Amino acid sequence: MKSAWKVIREQCKSLYLIRRLSLYELKSENTNNYLGMAWVVINPLIQIFIYWLVFGKILGRSNDIPVDNGVPAPYIIWLISGIIVWFLIQPAIIQGSKSIYSRIRFIAKMNFPMSAIPSYVILEKFYQHLMITGIVIVILQFTQFKISIYMIQLPYFMFAALAFLFSVSLITSTFSTIVRDVHQVLISLMRMMFYLTPFLWEPARLADAGLPDFFQKILLLNPMYYLVQGYRSTLLGASWYGIDHIGYTAYFWGFVLVALIFGSFVHLKFRDHFVDYL
Amino acid sequence: MEKSVIVKNVSKKYKMYAKNSEKILDLISPKGYGKSFYALHDISFEANKGDVIGIIGVNGSGKSTLSNIIAGIIPPTSGSVEIHGEAALIAIQSGLKKELTGRENIELKCLMLGFDKKQIVELTPQIIEFADIGDFIDQPVKTYSSGMRSRLGFAISIHIDPDILVIDEALSVGDQTFADKCLDKMNEFKEKGKTIFFISHSISQMKKFCEKALWVQYGHVEQYGLMSEVMPEYEAFIKKYKKMTKKEKKAFQENVRKSRIVNA
Repeated sequence: MKSAWKVIREQCKSLYLIRRLSLYELKSENTNNYLGMAWVVINPLIQIFIYWLVFGKILGRSNDIPVDNGVPAPYIIWLISGIIVWFLIQPAIIQGSKSIYSRIRFIAKMNFPMSAIPSYVILEKFYQHLMITGIVIVILQFTQFKISIYMIQLPYFMFAALAFLFSVSLITSTFSTIVRDVHQVLISLMRMMFYLTPFLWEPARLADAGLPDFFQKILLLNPMYYLVQGYRSTLLGASWYGIDHIGYTAYFWGFVLVALIFGSFVHLKFRDHFVDYL
Repeated sequence: MEKSVIVKNVSKKYKMYAKNSEKILDLISPKGYGKSFYALHDISFEANKGDVIGIIGVNGSGKSTLSNIIAGIIPPTSGSVEIHGEAALIAIQSGLKKELTGRENIELKCLMLGFDKKQIVELTPQIIEFADIGDFIDQPVKTYSSGMRSRLGFAISIHIDPDILVIDEALSVGDQTFADKCLDKMNEFKEKGKTIFFISHSISQMKKFCEKALWVQYGHVEQYGLMSEVMPEYEAFIKKYKKMTKKEKKAFQENVRKSRIVNA
């Protein structure tokens, strides 16, 4: 608990730094391309197109999917409103995990807390997420899913996603610095999680497919499930997801808190020796 | 005399793994597993404010490890390092981001070193002037020559105004005029009462610039004292070593290496 406080205080103190560093990160990542920042948007669009083509068209998922309030949504609309969370989570988890060991040489003797490294890497991904979310919201204005009062949940779910990513990255960045294999394990795990989280299929399908009830319950243990469903309810104006599923909300924040406490503990315990593990 | 750096019984051990499986065993078993190598063994010395200390020694004797420990980049395995003030390391690989321009790198590094917006705005023109690389300052660092890169890195490091400066071979890349400029700057530091550690293989540069010498020999402090006293002995050792036959050299090296390896 103490270490979690310390890490949070460090974050607050270096807020300006985290902001500037994440902007530089964004810049240095994209200056080599002729299209520059446009890739931040082009890449996800290509992926969405492929998923729509394969799952929506070829596998015949062209029937509409009812959202929380019962209004049927076309597959493509349903897909984009949720998958944008994946476009934040996936790169943030992967980059967050290698954030410390890939930068430690550059950063070793600098006057700022090492816990700021995962946060600025995550923040950089969050800027991209903001752009994509903006575009999705614009697209939705041309459908029946226009901006509604439910949209005020968006900042909440964004914050929830950031809190989740930061807590998890504290753990993964520490362990993958010590044992590099952890990063490889994480990559495989994330690939699995993509299919085990309702990004491409709606939860109702599980019962249709005849999978037992407890299987669904297990899937719910994954906090990304909460985030993607929350985003969907928000963007499609379907329900107050966090309040309607208050128990699940409590589980999500419990998960984040435990991860934060554990992550801060291991981070502080090992950070003076990170250089030795190179 | 006021002390600025007190190094007490500092040792640095590195694990030597023959296989990856040993690495795992070492992580799991509570006592540790495998052989260790003493990069530094029981080093103790003190430095006063205003000292300019040359660290000398043959390759692999632990000079760079020592300078990293003084600068606080790597922690010692045992022993303590007391530093009064801010320490900064200047090395050839100065950690510039190659996709960003020189100017952006200046801000980035200053930010990471804990400067605020106002200080950075003040410092930037000074750094640019010192680096003296002209229009290239607004070009990506990847287009720089190695000389330009080290000039920029050096210019940044020197302007952060540390109390203790550790210079690891950083001057050997610049040309004569730039080296002179740096030496001038360092003389300025000396007058301000800062402590400077200087690592270089150029004996003439050492003699000209440093007053004290710390001779590190295979992880131990061989001698520590005035440059005029230590350097002749170091040179004598080098001479003696050069005269040895190949076999003697090998035996000597082997002997030294063995003494630095311990179990766990």
